Amino acid sequence: MLMFSRYSWWVASMIGLAMLLAILGQTGLLNPFQGLFLRATAPVEGVFSGIFRPVAAVLSGIGDLNTLRDENDRLRLENEALRNEVAGLQQDAQRVKELESLLQITEGGSDATRVVANIVHRASTPFQQEVSIDRGSSAGIEVGMVVLSSQGSLMGSVTKVSGETAFVRLITDTRSKVRAEIAGTGAEGIVKGTPDRGLVLDLAQGDIKVGDAVVTSGLGGNYPKGIPIGVVSEVTGTSQDLYKKVTIQPLVRLGTATTVLVNVSFLPERLSLEDE
Amino acid sequence: MKALVGVGAVVLAAIAQVTVAPLFPLGGAAPEFVLLGLVLITAFSGPPPVMWLTPLAAVAAGWLSDRSPGLMLIAYLPLLPVGLGLEESPAPLNHYVRTLAMMLVTGMWLRMILAFGAIAGGAEPAVGALISDVIIPGLILDLGLLTVVYIPLRLAGLAGQGMTLQRSRYY
Repeated sequence: MLMFSRYSWWVASMIGLAMLLAILGQTGLLNPFQGLFLRATAPVEGVFSGIFRPVAAVLSGIGDLNTLRDENDRLRLENEALRNEVAGLQQDAQRVKELESLLQITEGGSDATRVVANIVHRASTPFQQEVSIDRGSSAGIEVGMVVLSSQGSLMGSVTKVSGETAFVRLITDTRSKVRAEIAGTGAEGIVKGTPDRGLVLDLAQGDIKVGDAVVTSGLGGNYPKGIPIGVVSEVTGTSQDLYKKVTIQPLVRLGTATTVLVNVSFLPERLSLEDE
Repeated sequence: MKALVGVGAVVLAAIAQVTVAPLFPLGGAAPEFVLLGLVLITAFSGPPPVMWLTPLAAVAAGWLSDRSPGLMLIAYLPLLPVGLGLEESPAPLNHYVRTLAMMLVTGMWLRMILAFGAIAGGAEPAVGALISDVIIPGLILDLGLLTVVYIPLRLAGLAGQGMTLQRSRYY
């Protein structure tokens, strides 16, 4: 009681203010002010990122030296094998070029299929993995839209939008749930984020092996079918287990990505129904 | 002028929280620059500026990280009461230890509140991960960061302030 004796009025008023802020936040009345604040602080964020990102990259590289050496050896072997496959992939390359021209990737514009955006900042805790991007409703972005890496892998979905910015919940966020399947086998499950910024495939049955590709199944209507998510990196459990524990390695390094694509031509089925 | 410096420091700390802090994680915990700023202002300017900078910091940090500013305000709230409680406790604690304890207690509270906020928002309740990935690395980060900043400031001649509120004082 002693510690509250002289600050009681302040603590009480702050609790009241916190409740008021929570109510105003729920009603969306603060959103325009938040949008203005984000726009005003964006240049400073760019300066901070520009200064500290290279420093972090260097420190990370030093810490991971042994890992990088092992990875380098493994990549050399993989590179040799892949070079041998190049000749057989010439026809596929032509097909990829055709598909790329159909993607219509553009720099902004509400009529674009995908909008290019830069990651402005990250909110990263074991329970929350979110980023904000420098495109918002003015570029045609809406809540629920799917966000992809520059190479087309799934990164997350839009959770909040203002005029020039949007917040994206990454698939490694523990609140994220994506209906997925093992490509080729059709074994379905739910990809969830874990507190250590990883991914697991829950409720998946069937013959799942390390190296299997995991893609969105399209079930539930929140994500289009067939978006690459990652590859199976570990399968634990016995043949008696109904569900094995399947760990997934994301295809994209979510922690270091700087550019994303927002699929503005797809809205979750649930939201579409709500609009009708 | 002091007020402007305080506002600038808090806003810059909030921006650093979402741009710089995620680049330097320890386990699952990131440095808490906003809390560090509030603790240092409390330690070297006393409680009055922090009383109005705390809600400002909560709004700035909340808006930048898409968290509820109300939740952030609750997360920063124990700072001053804990500081006063430590100052009035019978244990003979010097200014550095009191400041450190203020940072550690409030930092632990802040991370728990944010984790519970995420769990309330749909995250799976993982108490083990909260303790091993968030609380313990967070305490280590808070301890290191505060020491790195506090000692040079004291060596530069800044005097530590008490937590007692004085009447008729305007900031």
